[in-house]
This record gives sequence, C-alpha cells and structure tokens, in this order.
Amino acid sequence: MAQDDVKDRLFGDKKMSLWTIMVRTFAYLKKEIWSFVLALVLLVFSVAVNMLTPLVLKQFTNDLNLAESGVDFHDLLILGLGYFGLIVINQFLVYIQSMLLQKAGQKIIYRLRNDVFEHVEGMSIAQLNMMPVGSLVTRVAFYTANMSDLFTNTLVSIFRNILTIAGVAVIMFILSPALAGIMMGFLAVVFVISFFFSRHVKRIFRLERAKQSEFNSFLNESLSGMKIVQLYVQENRKKKQFDEQNLYLRKLRMKVVAAFAVYRPTISFLYYLALGATFFFAFRLNLSSGDVVAFYMLLSNFFSPIERLADSLNNLQRAHAASEKLYSLLDVKPDVVDSPSAIAIDSFRGEIEFRNVWFAYENEDWILKDVSFHVAPKQTVAFVGATGAGKTTILSLIVRNFVPQKGDIFIDGINIKDIQIKSLRKAVGQMLQDVFLFSGSIKDNITLYDSDAYTDEEVMKVCDYVNASSFINNLDGGLNSPVIEKGENFSSGQRQLLSFARTVLSHPQILILDEATANIDTETEKLIQDSLNKMKSIGTMLVVAHRLSTIQHSDNIIVLQGGRVMESGTHQELLHQKGLYFKLYQLQFEQAS
Amino acid sequence: MLFGKYAAKFYKKYWYLFLLGVITLLVVDYVQTLIPESLGQIVDIFQADEPAQESQIMPIVLRVIMVALGVAVGRVLWRITIFSASSRIEMGLREMMFLKSERLSQTYLHKNPVGNILNWFSTDIESVDEFLGWGTVMMVDAFFMSTIVIVKMFLVNWLLSTMILVPMLLIVLWGALVERIMSSRWEQRQKANDELYDFSQENITGLRVIKAFVKEVQQARAFAKVAWKNKEINVRFARLQVLFDIFIEVIIGAIMAMTLCLGGYLVYRSFHGNPLLGIDIKTGDLVSIVGYFATLIWPMMALGQVFAMHSRAKASLKRISAFLDAEEDIVDGPEAVTLENVQGEIEFRGLTFSYPEAKKPSLQDINLTIKAGETIGIVGKIGCGKSTMVALMARLYNIDKGTLFIDGVDIMDATLSSLRSSIAFVPQDNFLFSDEIRNNISFADAEASMDEIEKAAAFACVHDDIAGFPEGYKTVSGERGVTLSGGQKQRISIARAYMKNAPILVLDDSVSAVDVKTEETILRNIRQERKGKTTILIASRVSTVSSLDRIIVLKDGCLEAFDTPANLMKISPTYQKMVMLQELESEVS
Repeated sequence: MAQDDVKDRLFGDKKMSLWTIMVRTFAYLKKEIWSFVLALVLLVFSVAVNMLTPLVLKQFTNDLNLAESGVDFHDLLILGLGYFGLIVINQFLVYIQSMLLQKAGQKIIYRLRNDVFEHVEGMSIAQLNMMPVGSLVTRVAFYTANMSDLFTNTLVSIFRNILTIAGVAVIMFILSPALAGIMMGFLAVVFVISFFFSRHVKRIFRLERAKQSEFNSFLNESLSGMKIVQLYVQENRKKKQFDEQNLYLRKLRMKVVAAFAVYRPTISFLYYLALGATFFFAFRLNLSSGDVVAFYMLLSNFFSPIERLADSLNNLQRAHAASEKLYSLLDVKPDVVDSPSAIAIDSFRGEIEFRNVWFAYENEDWILKDVSFHVAPKQTVAFVGATGAGKTTILSLIVRNFVPQKGDIFIDGINIKDIQIKSLRKAVGQMLQDVFLFSGSIKDNITLYDSDAYTDEEVMKVCDYVNASSFINNLDGGLNSPVIEKGENFSSGQRQLLSFARTVLSHPQILILDEATANIDTETEKLIQDSLNKMKSIGTMLVVAHRLSTIQHSDNIIVLQGGRVMESGTHQELLHQKGLYFKLYQLQFEQAS
Repeated sequence: MLFGKYAAKFYKKYWYLFLLGVITLLVVDYVQTLIPESLGQIVDIFQADEPAQESQIMPIVLRVIMVALGVAVGRVLWRITIFSASSRIEMGLREMMFLKSERLSQTYLHKNPVGNILNWFSTDIESVDEFLGWGTVMMVDAFFMSTIVIVKMFLVNWLLSTMILVPMLLIVLWGALVERIMSSRWEQRQKANDELYDFSQENITGLRVIKAFVKEVQQARAFAKVAWKNKEINVRFARLQVLFDIFIEVIIGAIMAMTLCLGGYLVYRSFHGNPLLGIDIKTGDLVSIVGYFATLIWPMMALGQVFAMHSRAKASLKRISAFLDAEEDIVDGPEAVTLENVQGEIEFRGLTFSYPEAKKPSLQDINLTIKAGETIGIVGKIGCGKSTMVALMARLYNIDKGTLFIDGVDIMDATLSSLRSSIAFVPQDNFLFSDEIRNNISFADAEASMDEIEKAAAFACVHDDIAGFPEGYKTVSGERGVTLSGGQKQRISIARAYMKNAPILVLDDSVSAVDVKTEETILRNIRQERKGKTTILIASRVSTVSSLDRIIVLKDGCLEAFDTPANLMKISPTYQKMVMLQELESEVS
C-alpha cells in the first residue's frame, strides 16, 4: 500500500459518494432492521395520536357551547379523560419507540467500534507508524459516537417531523381546506427562511468551533510555554495576541447571537401572524369556535418541526462526514498478510538464516545491506554495533514487522513468507527495548488480556523463573496489583522483568531481546542478568546487546556497521582479531568494568 | 444572581445592558399574554347567540398583529442586549484570567496542571456565561411570565387556577431534580466516554506488543468489554432522559385533563343556572385558562432548570475567583531597582535552595563569582542542581535575600523585567510556539529584520536546515507544520536566545541533540560573537565545555570545584572521570 494513499485516507478529505456511504451504513443498519421498522410503525401511531389531541379539544370546545350541543356533563368528563388517555398512550409509544432506537443505535455503534478497532489491530507496524495514534483514536471513539446520533436521533427525528407536518396539514385540510391552504403559505415561508438560516448558522458555527479550538490550543500553548514568555519578558506581546483572539471569538459568538436574534423572532412573528390570519379567516370562512381552538393548537405543532428539521439536516451532514472518515480507514488494507499458501507451524527447532537481506524503510536508504548469517537451534547470538547500525531492524524482520526488499529469511529452513504470521509470532518471544505496560493489573500485563487462560500459580511460576516474583510479592495486591498508565509505578528494571515474564509465559522457541539502554539500579540489573542466563536454555536467542556480560556469554557475536555484517565470532575470537569489536569493547566496557 | 467581587465588577460595568434586556423581556412577556385572551374573546364571539360581526373581529386581529410586531422587536432587543452583556463579561473574565496566568510563577503552574487551568478557561467560564445569558432570560421570563399569567388566571377563575397551580409546583421541583440527576448521570456517561478514549489511546499505542504476542483476539475482547459498557451506560442515560421527558408530559396531560373535567363541570353548572360555589364561568373563560396553562408550562420548567444552572455557575465562579485570587509570589519588591547597563557579573553568596515541598535542598551553600564576560561551563550528574542554578538566576523561583547578585545587585531587589531582560535563557525543554520559525526566533524582538533573524539562525547553525524547508523561515513549527528534530528545536531555541542580545546568555544542556561537529561550530560562534559578554553553558558532554574559560562542577547540590579545565583535571574527580570517558569515545570515531 502506497504511503501516500494511507495518508490521503487518514488526513485528506477523501470523498465518497453519498450512495456508497448509504449502502455501507445500511449494511450496519440491516442487523437491527426490525427495531427500526417497529420504531417507525410506533412513530406513525404516536404522531397520529398526537394529532388527535387537538381534535379532542375541538370537540370539547364545541360541546361546551351547551346552548347548541346540549350535551350532558358526562360527555365532557369522558372527553377530558379521553384526552388524558391519549397522552398516556402516546407517551407509552414514545417510550417504546425511543428505547428501541437507542438500543439498536448503540448496538450498531458497538459493532462499528469493534470493527474499526479490530481493523486497526490488523495494520502492519509500518502502517501504524504512518498513522498518528490520535487520529486512530478519534476514529474509534469520537467519529463512531457522531454516527450514533444518526441512528438514535437524527433519522427518526427527520421522519417524525415530516410526519408531524404532514399530519397537521392533513387535519387542517379536514377542518377547513381554505384556512389550511392559507396556513400552507405560512409554512412555505417558514420553510424557506429556516433553510437559509440553517445554512447560514452552520457556517458560523463551524467557524466558531474552529476558532474556539484554535483559541484553546493557543491557550494551551501559552500556558505550557509561560516560562518562555516570562523569561523573554514577552507578557505584553502574548497578551496582545490573546486579546485579538478573545475579541474575535466574542465577535463570532455575537454573530451567532445575532443570527438567532433575527431568526427566532422572525419565526415567532410569522407564528403570531398566522394566528391573526386564523382569527380573521375563521370569521370570514364561518368556522366554528372549536375549529379556531383546534387551529390554535395545531399551529404550535406546525412551526417547530420545521426548525427541528433544519437542525436534523445539519446532524445528517455531520454523520456523513464521520462515516466518510470511518469507511476510509476501514478501506486501508493491511499490507503484511499471509500468502494464500502460508502454513501453520506449531513448533520450531529455532534455526535462523538470513540470506542476502537488503532492507530500507524508505526508498533507497538501505538500513541493512546484504546481510547474511546463520544461527543454529538453541544458540545465543548477540548483535553489536553503534546506534543505527541495523541491529534492531534485524530483529523486527524476523517477526515480519517489516518485509525486506531483497533476500530471504528462513526459520528451520522455511522461508518466513510461507509461514502464517500468527504461528511465526507465537514462536518468537519478543522483548522490546521500551517495555510497554497497559493500565490494569500485573497479571493482565503478563498474560496480555488473557488472564482467564492462566491460573495465578502458572503466572507466578513464570515470575519466579524470571526473578520477578520478589518485587511482585512485595506489592500489596501481588499479581493483582494495579499498573498505572505506561507502567509508571514500576522502575525500568522491574518493567524489563515483567516483559521477560510475558515472553516465558508464551512458550516461545525463539527469543529476541532488545536490551534496554536505560540505567537500571544495580540490584535489579543482577536479577535481569540471572534471568537472561536462564532464558537462554528456552530456545534460540537473538539479542541486541548493550551489556558486556550478555555479549560475553553468547555463542556468537555479530558486529554490524552501517547495515553490513563486519565481523562475527565468539568474544575471545573477536578480541584476538583486534578489529571493530575490539575497539567497541574498549570504548564501552573496559573503562566501566 | 451571582455574587462576589468579580461578579459585582461586571454588573457595575454592564448594568444598563442587563436592565434594558430585562425590561424588554418583561414587556414581551406581558404582551404575549394578550394572545390567550384574544383566543378566549374570539371563542366567546363565535359562540354568542347573535352572529359575529367584522367590527368585533377586526380589533382582535389587529391586536394580534400588533403583538406579533411587538414580540418580534422585543425578542431581537433582549437577545442582543443580554447576550452582548454576558459575552462581554465572558471575554472580560478570560482576559483577567490570562493576565493572571502571566503573573503566576512556575511554582503555581507546577501545582496546577495546564489541563485544570484550561478547564477554568473553558468549561467554567462557559457555565458563568450560560447563567448570565440564558439564566437571566429564563429567570426573568419564568418569574414574570408566571406572575402575570397567574394573576390573569386568578382574575378569570380562582378555583380552576388553584387546581392548576398546585400540581404545577411539582413541575418546578421536577425540573430542578431532573437537572441535578441528569448532570451527575451526564458526568458518568462522560467518564465512560473518557474510558473508551483512554483505552483506545493506550492500546493503539501499545499495539506492537499485542502483535508481538499474537494477542489481538484477547485485546479485541477487552476492547469489546469497554465498548459494551459504554453502550450500556449510553442506553441507560438515554432511558433516564426519555423517562424524565415522558413523566413531565404525563403530568402536564394530567393537569390539563383535570382542568377540562372540572372546568367543564363548572361551565355546565353555570349554564344550567346552578353555579358551583357561586362560580359563574363561561366557555370562553375556560378556554382562556387552558391557554394560560399552556403558557405556564415553559416558565415552570425553566424555573427548575435555572436553579441547577445557578448552582453550577456559582461553583464555577468560585473556582475562577480562586484562580484570580491566587498568590503571586514572584513579583517586584516595593523598592525594586531597574538593572541597567548590565556587565554580567554573577555572584552566588552562600546560596541554599530547596524546591517547594522538597525534602532536601537542591543547592547547598554555593559560593562563587562569575566575572563579567566569562564563558562558563556547568557539569555534573543528572539531578546535581545544574538547571536549578541557572533557573534561579532568572528568578524562576524565589531565593533568600543576599544570596545571588548580578553586577552586585541582589536579584531579589531588581525588577523582574529588567532582570529577565538581561538574561537570554535557552531552557532544556526548548519549547517552541506553533508559529512560523522566524517568529519563534524573533520572539524577544518582534521588530527584528529578516537579516537579523538569519544572522541568529546562522549563529545557532540552523540556517541551512531552515532554508531547506519548503517554506523556509515561514515554515510553521509544531503539529500544524513540520515536525522538527530535537537538534533543530535546540538550535532554533539558541537562535531565539541570541536574538535577545542580552549581557548574559544561558544554555541549559542545549546542544545535547546536536552532533559534535555542529556543536563545535556553535561553540566557536559563541566565542566570537559573545566576546566580552557572559555566557553559561550547562553540558552533559565534556567536549562542550573543555574549551571554556572556567567550569563549575556540581555534585549532589554542592560545589565540587570551579576552575579552569586544566586545573580541574587535577582537583575534580567528577571532571576527571568525564574526560577519560570522552577520550575513549573519540579514539573509536
């Protein structure tokens, strides 16, 4: 997958046709289709019942004209109770309908979120490196939430408002076609005004939001950089910048206020005007007093749906933008995948061979140049060299985090391209330089979200093996002690030991270790060293080594420089050669020891 | 109303806007009540025995049109006045807070994370603004509208009115209750959303670990759990909201039905010449009362919401006031003198310093004098007090009087602005603003010409880098623009400090991410360009300081030695060790 394409999908406004979006959204909606259908049916009923209430009032008013109607008091009582009954029924329908939609909508979002998250999980390391975490997180958490409005509110609200307007119109026409016709004129005017207003106000809102977020980041930055501002005595200058933004923001706010200050009163003006017209034409058209009351009630149900409809259109657009972003991400195909003929392997002997491997992260910037070496099963090999020599890269190629441009890598004589990635990674225990810990418990971190698959005893046994049990036992909660974000409540040495435990628990046949360069207190350092020595017996071990003792105890040392293998051999052999290794050794270790 | 000195200050400034707005609101409220009355009159005319006359109808229609006009104009007016006042207050509060933040010391900013302060700037100010704007409108509206309507209702019929009003109080209570419960539930939902966000953030960041151990399925399961919880809380929140809405609708429906039944009964009795309790009531009266009732619903609900809004705004204003009242600990003394013509002599006289709430001092009994024009290095292990030493020179923290002098003036007696103007500081974190690079460099001097900016960049060996960017000096640094490397940032910070052309230049470990060759060039530039001016370099590499005039060696907050590099080789064990390691390194390269 071309890099530009990924970037384009993530950052560019990749446009999709409305039809594509609707089809894909409908695919999610389909599973809950019956909830939606039922909700819509209930909605029709509820709107219908809502329409009936003005009619009841009309009947009531007409009946009250006792001179003409001559009704009994009981008829009035029944009408009053009927009115209440209608309200209760209507609200009952509203409840069922709303909850159906809420549940269905939230379920859809739940599924969508899982899909997006799992999709992100499937990305290769190279792809993940290209995608800022922040933009992925907003897709998983934020844009999905934007879409949930669509299912729980927007769609239904559009439907309900259209139904309401239609229903009111129908009843008006039944009551008095002529007066209804006049009211339609008002409706048209309100509709046109609302439409233009909503477009106008959306533009201001967007501007305001953008300005607000710019203002917030300005504030954030100014506060974070206040030390610099104070040291450079630039308080007045920052204050001036602040004032400019502050004023601009207020002006935008007032624009919003002004827009509403024109729109709302205009609508209410039209409403009262329509009412005046009703009084006047009711007289002209010889309508009954009940008709007047009914129209009075209907009118208030007539104007507000239009305003709400305009709002819904804005929400619809927001959902559209959000879904575009989500579907674009879902369209990024993982670029490291199993070939169709890839085989699953349960267990490896642990023989590794690099054959003329060339690798570059980008273009022709070769990080590895024609690297070849062979590691026998159960051997321990140390990679030594300056920063940027390509040591870490070698390790990441073995687990197919990246794919070499030229040359091949074999494990047990099988080209790793022909091995299923999952079985490959299961066989290789990776201990990375920066140990990443998740917030949760220690056990969660060792089992990696697989706590149920292991008993505490099993985990503790592994911790014992890697020398992690002593500090874990010292914690109040033992294995269940909390780990805070990024493992900040543990020292780097302790984190290292936890990563060893993770590895040993997964029963690898090959271990790769990128030794931490960070300073580790001497006591933990010793524990780590012992633990490493034990782990060597587990299987083949490849180490990017920084510690002398790790290097000295390995079966083979491969010295890298500028992406090429310069020397290899045991510690003693290489020292005798008096080559690159000899110099490196002198520099890094002799003085320190 | 909100009280307190800051609130009072703004009321004093904008009272006329509020007053005008409130009066308009009252007029609008009053005029609106003419509508149900008109409806009642129309109904009575229609139901009268003799047929309705145009002369009866027209005045009513005209009155409705007048109301329409009046209400429209009034609503425009109160929106503009009240919201203009509240947004001015919002702006004013923000301005005061920003000014305050500029005067607060690092000690305060350390104790209060930027996130908190930002919250006061946004959420809290907004809730004050909301109350001053919408709160005022709703309060006035609710009080007066309901008063007018209630009076009119009672004039029509006291019994029906009482019947309506008593249960309506329920609505007020209900409104307040709903606001309170919903806002706590809303927080719960917010927390669930945050949890989802944090989980995604953390787990996408740590995805490589998951992939390494092939635990994608387990991680996805854990995510699903969080997402499911989020879903459940959202549904629960929605249910509560729906239930609250339904409940209020049902209460209103019940009151309405009761009014209809009882009113119908009263009209019925009156019609048959047998009024109950002597209450004579016509159909039109009942219709009016129903109309009044409809107008009362909103104010009653609003009243409840205003209560909740008020308590929120009060809490927010309290936090804002606490911020505005925070102690400013680093300020000019009453008789502070302006440092002028600074030569750059710096003297530490028995200086001991502990950070607030630290257990042991970071610097202990430091005695030394840096002569004007010297180029000085400071070395020592991490945490030995190097950065503290230079931070104190710029008085980022307060120190005891009589312990630190510049040109013989106690810095505690100098004005802050003159002190800081005489020191160009390159802090360790080399913070740059997301602004064009040229503006970052000319931060100390907005008037600087392009030539001067380029000269500063050349001094810091960063000109070629900048010229290499597509937009050159206009390139924006930070998230919105290019991502600068650590070395580039450091060098731009150096250029920024150079622009200040101050008598004292301090570089706090500012070349650590710069390669050795570039470092040499920068050092050469410092020697040439800053001849006769004091320059202090904190360094982690010996190569940075070995050619300087003298070097301060710190150990655990104490002065181990202060001498020329040659002499240090004889007397300072820390320095000796550093040099030896350095030599080994150079051998290999």
